[in-house]
Formats: sequence, C-alpha cells, structure tokens
Amino acid sequence: MGQENNLAQKRTTSTGGLPTTTITSSSRNRTLPRGRQIQKTFNNIKITILCGFVTILVLRGTIGVNLGSSQNDAVNQNVIEETNRILAEIRSDSDPSDRNQTETFLSLNETYALGPKIRNWDTERKKWLTDNPEYPNFVRGKPRILLLTGSPPKPCDNPIGDHYLLKSIKNKIDYCRLHGIEIVYNMAHLDMELAGYWAKLPMIRRLMLSHPEVEWIWWMDSDAFFTDMVFELPMNKYNDYNLVLHGYPDLLFEQNSWIAVNTGSFLFRNCQWSLDLLDAWAPMGPKGPIREEAGKILTANLKGRPAFEADDQSALIYLLLSKKDKWMEKVFLENSFYLHGYWAGLVDRYEEMMEKYHPGLGDERWPFVTHFVGCKPCGSYGDYPVERCLSSMERAFNFADNQVLKLYGFRHRGLLSPKIKRIRNETVTPLEFVDQFDIRRQHTSSVESRN
Amino acid sequence: MLERCLGSRRLRQMQRACRRGSLTFLCLFLTVIVLRGTIGAGKFGTPEQDLNEIRQQFYSRGRRVEPHRVLEEVQSTETNNNNNNNYATFDISKILKDEEGGDDEKRDPNIPYTLGPKISDWDEQRSEWLKNNPDYPNFIRPNKPRVLLVTGSSPKPCENPVGDHYLLKSIKNKIDYCRLHGIEIFYNMALLDAEMAGFWAKLPLIRKLLLSHPEVEFLWWMDSDAMFTDMAFEVPWERYKDHNFVMHGWNEMIYDEKNWIGLNTGSFLLRNCQWSLDILDAWAPMGPKGKIRDEAGKVLTRELKNRPVFEADDQSAMVYLLATGKEQWGGKVYLENHYYLHGYWGILVDRYEEMIENYHPGFGDHRWPLVTHFVGCKPCGKFGDYPVERCLKQMDRAYNFGDNQILQMYGFTHKSLASRRVKRVRNESSNPLDVKDELGLLHPAFKAIKLPTS
Repeated sequence: MGQENNLAQKRTTSTGGLPTTTITSSSRNRTLPRGRQIQKTFNNIKITILCGFVTILVLRGTIGVNLGSSQNDAVNQNVIEETNRILAEIRSDSDPSDRNQTETFLSLNETYALGPKIRNWDTERKKWLTDNPEYPNFVRGKPRILLLTGSPPKPCDNPIGDHYLLKSIKNKIDYCRLHGIEIVYNMAHLDMELAGYWAKLPMIRRLMLSHPEVEWIWWMDSDAFFTDMVFELPMNKYNDYNLVLHGYPDLLFEQNSWIAVNTGSFLFRNCQWSLDLLDAWAPMGPKGPIREEAGKILTANLKGRPAFEADDQSALIYLLLSKKDKWMEKVFLENSFYLHGYWAGLVDRYEEMMEKYHPGLGDERWPFVTHFVGCKPCGSYGDYPVERCLSSMERAFNFADNQVLKLYGFRHRGLLSPKIKRIRNETVTPLEFVDQFDIRRQHTSSVESRN
Repeated sequence: MLERCLGSRRLRQMQRACRRGSLTFLCLFLTVIVLRGTIGAGKFGTPEQDLNEIRQQFYSRGRRVEPHRVLEEVQSTETNNNNNNNYATFDISKILKDEEGGDDEKRDPNIPYTLGPKISDWDEQRSEWLKNNPDYPNFIRPNKPRVLLVTGSSPKPCENPVGDHYLLKSIKNKIDYCRLHGIEIFYNMALLDAEMAGFWAKLPLIRKLLLSHPEVEFLWWMDSDAMFTDMAFEVPWERYKDHNFVMHGWNEMIYDEKNWIGLNTGSFLLRNCQWSLDILDAWAPMGPKGKIRDEAGKVLTRELKNRPVFEADDQSAMVYLLATGKEQWGGKVYLENHYYLHGYWGILVDRYEEMIENYHPGFGDHRWPLVTHFVGCKPCGKFGDYPVERCLKQMDRAYNFGDNQILQMYGFTHKSLASRRVKRVRNESSNPLDVKDELGLLHPAFKAIKLPTS
C-alpha cells in the first residue's frame, strides 16, 4: 500500500499537481473487476472479525469482563439476602423455645420471692467451711472475692456494643488476674421476671448459696472499667460491714437523691444479713404492673428521679432510707476512692493523671473504676453523644491496658490508638524487669490462711 | 510546503518512517496492555484492579461475592432526630487514631528475623527466681502445674456484625472452664510485632509471656474460635512430665506423611523452659510478612501433603519443622490424640444430642470432646470457608452444650441446644448446702487448695 502511495505521489510531484493523478487513481479503482471488490470486502470483514475476536479475548483475560455476569448477580443477591436474614434472626430476641409461651406478669397482689426463706445461713456456712478446709474463705490473708458481671444473651442492637463488652471483660480479666479474684460472667436470665438491671439479684443469691467459700460477691456493671490496676480494695476496712457501696451520706439522708449511691459496683458479704437484704430488695423488681407501680413510688420519694419503671438502684436507696435503722448499721458508704467513678469528670484528665500521679491511688487522682453510666453502648441509643461515649471508653480501656502492658515493655500509641509501641527493649535477663514491674508482686502478703 | 523545505524524497522517507513509527508505537502499546493484564505491573496495578476501583467508586459493596461467604450489614435507611446518640450509624474508625510517632523501626532486611535476643540460660534464671519467690510456685499441687491460658483477638471491631458477640461468648466459655480448673487467662488484644501479623502473632506473644511469667509452668494457647465443651475434664498433666510441647495430632501423619493437618496449633501446651524458647526461635523464621512468608508458603506447599497454595502459616511451619527435625525436637513433643485437645467441629457438632443421651462430661474424647474448634469458620471476618448459617448456628450449639454444664451447677439448663433461654431443673432449696450438683463441679478436687502443713 505504501508503494502505491509513493507511486501516486511520484506522479503528483512529476506532473506538478495536475488533477490527472487523482482521476487516474480513482479511474484505476473503477476499473477493478467486481469480483475482486467483493473479495476485498470479504477480506476486510474477516480481518475485522478476527481483530474483534482477539480484542475480546484479550479484554476478558485482562479485565475479566464476563458476559455471564447477569446470572452471577442474581445468585449473589440471593446470598446477600440469605445472610442478612440469618444475621437478623441471630440478633432478634426471638428464640426457638418461645413457641408456646405467653408472657405472664405477677399481679399487684402477689409478692415475689427470690427463693425459699433461709434463716440459718451463717451457721450452715460456718459448718461447711469447717468441714471443707481445702476451700477456705481466706486465701493468703485476703478474703476470697468473686466478681460477678454480665450482659444479655443476645447480640447487642449494634455491633460496636459487643466490641466494647469484649474490651470490658478483657479489662476485668486483667484486673482479676492481677489480684486473685475469680470472675463469673452471666449471660442467662435466671428469672424472667427479674430481667434487665434486676437480673443481678437472683444471680447474687444463687452464687452465695452455691459457693460458701466465697466471702464477698462483687457485682460490676458491664459498662464499668477498671482504670487503676494496682489499687486493691482495703478489705480490712469492711470487717464490720456487709454491704459496701459507693455513695455519699449527705446525698442519701439529707437530700434523698436517687443517685446518692451507685449499684453499678458494690460488694455483698456472703452471710444471712445479705440474704435478708436481697429478699427485702427484690419485691419492687418483677416485670409488669409491680415494677411500674413501684417506679411511681420511687419517683415520688426520691429527689431528681425521672419517671420510669423501678430500677434496682432507686429501690435500694428507698429501702435504706425507709428502713434505715434495720439496714444502715452494716452498710458502708465508700467515697474515699472511686469504687464507682462517673466517667464524665474523669476521662478528659487521663493525660494529666499520667503526668502527675501514679497507679495505686484509686481516687480522683487515679480513679479505681471509670463507670460509663448512661452510655448504653449495647443498646441503640444512649443519653450522650455516641462519639463522646465511645472515644471515652476507648481511652479508659487503653489507659488501663497501658498499666498491664508495662510489664511486657509496651504501651499504646496514644489513648485512642489500638496499636502499641515498645517502651523497653528485649533483654537476655528479663527477670529483673519482672521483679520491678509485676503488679502482683507489689502486694506481698503472708501465706497464712485465716478462717 | 514541507516538500519544498525537505525535498520530495526526504519527505517520503519521513512519511514512511512516521507510518512505521506509529505502527510500532501501536504494537508496543498493545503489548504493554496485554502484559499488564496478564503479569501485572506492580504498583501500577492491573486492569482488573482498575475495574474494581471504578466499580467501588460507584457502589459501596465489594465485588467479591461468592456463594455462602458474604456477611454484610444492611444499611439502615432510617434517619432519626438524635443521630448523634444513635450507635447504629457510627463508624468507629472516626475515633481511633495513632499518635506518638507512627514509624516503626524498620528492620534491616539483611539481618534474619529473630523474636528477641538469644537467651541460653533460661532454665537457670527461672529456677533461681522460683527459689527466691516461694509465694509464686510453679506447681499449685504435686501434679497440678500453674497454667496460663492465652487467647486473643483484634483490637478493632469485627467486620462481621455478630463476630464480636461470638468472641464474647467464646471468652465467657473459657472463663468458665478456667475458673473451674484454677487456670489463669490472658486475653491479648495487642499486636506485639507488626511483621508477625495474622496467625503468627502468637509467637512473639508466647515468648513475651513465658519470659515475663516465670511462675507459669505451662502456657496453653487457644484460638478464639475454639470452645470448651467438656467442663469436667482435667488435662492429665502427669502424662506430659517428660515433654515440653503438647499438641493434638498423630505421629504417623507428621513424621511419615508430612500431612499439613497432621497436628493443630489452635490449642496446644508449651512448657516454660529453654527448650521452648529454642523451638520458638526455630519456628519463627517463616513468619515475617511479605516475601519471606510467601516464599516459605511455596516451600511448605511443595513439601507437605495436601497443602493448598497460600502464604506460610504457623501450623504448616510446625509440621515441616517437626518432620525435618525429628531428632532435634521430636523427643520432647507429645502428639496427643486420646482426647480432643483440639476437636474439629465438623465431625462433632451434629452428635451433641447423642452424646447427652449416651455419655457424660469427663471423657474429653469422641464421647464428650474437651474442645470443639471451629476451624475455617472465621466468625470475626467477612469470609469463611463454610456457610455462614452452619457456622454460627453450630457455634451457638457448642456454646450451649458447654454452658449447660456450668448452669447445671446452679440448677438450670438451656431450653434446647439452640436456645438462649434457660429453664430451672432443680428447685431452690432451703438447705442449699445439702444439694450436690451432678457433675461435682461446684467444689471439684482439681480446684482444692493445698493446705500448708503447719
């Protein structure tokens, strides 16, 4: 083809651009026989088809353009719908065993009992302890404590809630490992009537009665985080008491405030007195008309309480106020350290605390427990903005985790960072750091056991 | 005009050269495109990636959807007044941020990877420490070593919306077993070494824990997707008094067949001693992310039976290490198969009802497995090797199967293996101490405290 052009151009140049050349070339075309024209057309078409075919092959190989994609999409859509259905089923509250049951509530006339009345628990327990010396209630001079916490059996309304439940239990596992405390994580509603925040009552009673070797049961909410890993409860202070609550006497007795004490973190001694208190506490709990009516009474009698159904904290305050002489003698209102620390005033000061103070104080300088009341990460809505709640919980978790990681030579890269960085190089004599940094060994105690 | 400048012949030559040049460029261009499509051009990507990127720009969903493998959240379309307080619409990555210098010290690639400086006298150091610290003995009772159960998960929320819930149930299950058996738990959420990410993350963690806790005699690693299903079974510690590494597996499958699933590193026991530090050092080299791991993966696929093609994993690396170093390591490795230190879930979960009918807890073996391990389910990720429904429903069943043994201590049981609800099976009594639980788990012998003889 190039040569033809050259020839044509040669002629053009030689004849000085006379139009004869073009006429000549076009006349040359017209003089081509018809057959050859058709042949040429066929050739062109063949080449076009071949090139098109090769292009499609190449494209399919590189980009992966699949002409059967429409079918795939339909299948994928089905799969997506199916998995969404499975997830929705898992996250709903329905249960395969619910088929034949209708929910019945206790009427206002009936009284609720946690169980058959027990009157001689102290003697029974003492006898059991004497008969079973291999299960003492004091280990190495410290009373045996059982930490009880829990969460509902179904997934949280949103995934981030479960993630923070997981971080919360890891936080508790760390503290309890360092201090020799056992954990029971409850995910069962032992009593459907006492569901919700009341669910702790039947569980506390059940654990007391099944584990006589446990001296104290420590209930802790799932939204409370340990932030002082070194601080240990001064159990000797409570030798004459049976219930340790964080609270303020003036708020309780003078103002009758519904937040005078906090039942998110408290200790119950395993004794008859506690069983009696639980029996006196429970009646406001049963779901339905009882809880609603009780809620009204509590709102009327306690300062600042909004109108909603009876909750365990308000009910306990009401009980302690109305039967003060019976119960208050054995109740210790602790406020020298943060057995429960309301999070809003604490979380922004973590950096300041790290700079000025050290773990082991437990009070406003280095809070023992940071409790995220009102955040409700497991539900759909909290009382506070989500970003504030979650970033604060992350900070509290990392603040505590730094204290655990110190032994291993790491810390978080910032209180909002899930990543860690090394603060101490690896060495061939790691035990010198173990002696220095292991929190457990900072509380040396004698090996004697005491009944 | 050009003709006059250059002359006709020159012009013709130029035109010819131009034509040839453009043809050459066209062919070159096509070649580059085809090669990019087939071989790929490194960071310039491949056309497939380009297409994916373009697609992702238009859709929020990814393209990789295959049967039974996708788990995605239905985007909620409701708008609420207090969006600020609504957890469902929140994106956690908004709040997580790294400060304090994000640069890791880059390891010099010419120096081979090590877990840490070589320690050669760990046994002496440790026994000295134990002597100086009688309050922290490594044996709680004559045949009961101090054990630390180590497990963990990522510090970021799971991609799967119910993944964290299953992690929570799994750790509760482990808390229950360990409380009954006097075992301590360490739940790890930190990546100690960025190079050993993924399944290799356990190696630096295990080494760090062994060196930081000299009082621990045995470290029990357990995957987060493994659950205890026999709460009454106590590991026979005295069987391993001459061994340092206990895994579930079969000798023939490792030493004769070199089968990549001849053992399982999802649940194993490692003694705290010099030998263990040495085997960790020998195990680690295939782990570092990137070229080393990929190359090692090819070696492992070639050398081991039935191994698919993927990067090196810790389990295959251990099979290879034992198969090629039997004289060096085999003497202290115990491959246990008389009970399910690791029990593959596929063959166990359908038989739970049969087990309940015919047997009782305490066997630990095929009659009542100690551990049911959901290998391949990956509940925390988006993609697993098995159908989602089967995995999650069976994990619920395994959890309830184990939980029933705990609840029966308190007089309750799940209404069925699929149900979250519990029902009472033993009435409350006014003499609670006279009531004994059937399995004797409330005050088992393996939890009793050895009294001082004074």
